Amino acid sequence: MVFTSFNFLLFFPGLIAVYFLTPIRFRWPVLLIASYFFYINIKPVFALLLVYISLVTYLLTRLMEKTEVESKRKTCLLINITLILLPLIFFKYFSVINNYLINFLAIRDLRWPLPEIKLFLPIGISFYTFTTIGYIVDVYNEEIEVEKNIGILALFVSFFPLILSGPIERAKNMLPQLKALNKFDYHMVVQGLKLMLWGYFMKLVVADRIGIYVDAIYNHIGQHNGKTLLFASVLYPFQVYADLGGYSLIAIGTARILGIQVMQNFKRPFFATSMSEFWRRWHISLISWLTDYIYTPLSFAFRKFKVWGIVIALMITFFISGIWHGAALTFVVWGIMQGVFLSAEALTNKRKALFEKKHQLNQKAWYIFLGICFTFILFAASQIFGRAESLNSALQVYRRIFTIPGALFIGSPAYLIYSFFGLVMLLFKDFSDEFMPSRFLLFESKHKFIRVLAYSSIIILILLIGVFDGGQFIYFQF
Amino acid sequence: MIKKLILNISIVAVVVFVLDFAIGRTLRYFYFKETSGQHFRTTCSMETTEADLLVFGSSRANHHYVPEIFEDSLKTTFYNAGRDGNGILFQTAVLKSVLTRYFPKVIILDAGGFNKEKDNYDRLSSLLPYYRTHKEIRSIIELKSPFEKIKLLSQIYPFNSQIIAIATGNLDFFARSKPDNKGYVALHGEWPAEISYNDAYSAYEVDANKIFALREFINIAKKSGAKIFVIYSPVFLKFKKNLDIEVGNDVCSFENVPYWDFSRDTQFLSNRHLFQDRSHLNHKGATIFSKLIVTKIKQGILVN
Repeated sequence: MVFTSFNFLLFFPGLIAVYFLTPIRFRWPVLLIASYFFYINIKPVFALLLVYISLVTYLLTRLMEKTEVESKRKTCLLINITLILLPLIFFKYFSVINNYLINFLAIRDLRWPLPEIKLFLPIGISFYTFTTIGYIVDVYNEEIEVEKNIGILALFVSFFPLILSGPIERAKNMLPQLKALNKFDYHMVVQGLKLMLWGYFMKLVVADRIGIYVDAIYNHIGQHNGKTLLFASVLYPFQVYADLGGYSLIAIGTARILGIQVMQNFKRPFFATSMSEFWRRWHISLISWLTDYIYTPLSFAFRKFKVWGIVIALMITFFISGIWHGAALTFVVWGIMQGVFLSAEALTNKRKALFEKKHQLNQKAWYIFLGICFTFILFAASQIFGRAESLNSALQVYRRIFTIPGALFIGSPAYLIYSFFGLVMLLFKDFSDEFMPSRFLLFESKHKFIRVLAYSSIIILILLIGVFDGGQFIYFQF
Repeated sequence: MIKKLILNISIVAVVVFVLDFAIGRTLRYFYFKETSGQHFRTTCSMETTEADLLVFGSSRANHHYVPEIFEDSLKTTFYNAGRDGNGILFQTAVLKSVLTRYFPKVIILDAGGFNKEKDNYDRLSSLLPYYRTHKEIRSIIELKSPFEKIKLLSQIYPFNSQIIAIATGNLDFFARSKPDNKGYVALHGEWPAEISYNDAYSAYEVDANKIFALREFINIAKKSGAKIFVIYSPVFLKFKKNLDIEVGNDVCSFENVPYWDFSRDTQFLSNRHLFQDRSHLNHKGATIFSKLIVTKIKQGILVN
């Protein structure tokens, strides 16, 4: 089941009714059953993975808790992380590594004993694996107490709003909430509904609409000229933002209706004026996870290299981020590019700050605007590797952008008009939230009439120009 | 608090209902008032044409059969009901609607695309505006999803993503700039590249619903008394194997109707100037092809 399916629109109101009619102490089992039901609807057999991860984590963290000897605790930690990572490695990377080996050896006339295999990637595996690893490490570091109720732990791993594409939540935030579920809270429910509504708008009106154009171009790179490929490459970051950002809002809204606060995942990323700021606004839950569990320990380990230690830590962190996104060279390059951008900023940060202070550039609109544009260009350039099917395709996009002239391919003008309409609305809302937070308050207006009209208009817009036949969420593949 | 929430949600629901009704009804009104474009042509096919010869199929039907050639040679009235991107399920629905009004004498089906495709049933959205008024096509539309009936409670839903097309279809300017020729839309321009090979059928999986629809199409056409000809029109591609053709041929043999495969006709394969792209003839190619078909139909009618 996915958030944009009609099944979900039937499932969720039913769940809300059952959930709030159930006494508070029995609500977590309701959520656990609902979460498994939600996941089983995608592919029943993959629910076994959730059971496996929950069970292994429960047993080994309990064992870790009971062990006093540090070396044994560490062994528990490593075994647990390894066992949790095994399914991810198997499903996500095994066939890729196997195919690379087959091709590599075939060139040398050698035969690899395993045949080429294709595996279905369990949706959301990267997300719930990271969520669980975060819990295990937090238990090891004694930042949280071990969860003694296996049901609550299983719910934390499988919590349906977050299981497919995050946000990647932390045990520190989630477990206390799951253990003490709240009473019905009118304001939380209303906030949740608003977030869901805007999330659906982002996904159905913006992401899927832009996706029609971007897919048409990127699926036939060799048939399009530079202008068209450039245009599709500029649109793609907006598609990903509206897709994962929209999904995140629906997830956060769904959780909030159930009385659970989930962390923000995007914060108007396209108004960032530098790459480091961008990564504090884009996929926040993943980046904060990587920061806490990879970047910070690494930068501590490399602290003797001073600023170069930061560079090494950044490069490794974003290399892992690239690998996390997909088992392909394109994602490795994508990750390395982010690492290079951030390292360059880290190395020039002091001089840049002095220069900006001397000329008071941070107050100047044109400088902010240039920073926003430059940051967007860097990110969009790296996203070519995020979108292309292979390294060759990505390089072909770059080559064609600079060498193949021709008129812009429009395809369906109506679809582009709808895309721009949705995108302008989204960017206007983000712009207003960023620079004029007290103006254009439609969902938050103090006048009920305006609020009702705003909600209704968004629903009508979704009905009018939303894409109901659109694809899945982009981040399901990760 | 729960009462307050229910009250507020009800207020929004009422406003949405009113807006949905008003906007949906307006869109419906203007949809059926269009004077050009795809919507107009589908409405003509389903609700007004009484031509004796009807052509069905996807874009390859719509752009490959030139009305004047059929009308002049066969001394018959003609309408091209082909629609871009819409396969056999759509065509079967349109034929069902036609047969509730009258019985054409000759039916040409340009058939292909019997494989399972990810978004295939989504194309049936083209039929949504007709769901309320055409009971005979409902079972086909419901293949889209089991919830289609519920979704269609919305008045706007059948016209989702159509607002600009409806607007342009009502403007005389567009009717003049893209004149409609009895459903046929001519393509212009020539394919610039030499012929290529296509072996993209390796992952072909037959869609049982489409085969069922093809058989249903043939059977209801035969029952209506029409002569039916199933055709695979020319493509500018060479292939070792084309499962669309094999499937089409098998079904037609089983149903005992003529199946004419032009995919290996050297007259077309050797001349890129007759194509607009690899799958579509331009007007020049369509004219030559239509003449060939007319000759074969004459022979076919005489033989039978």
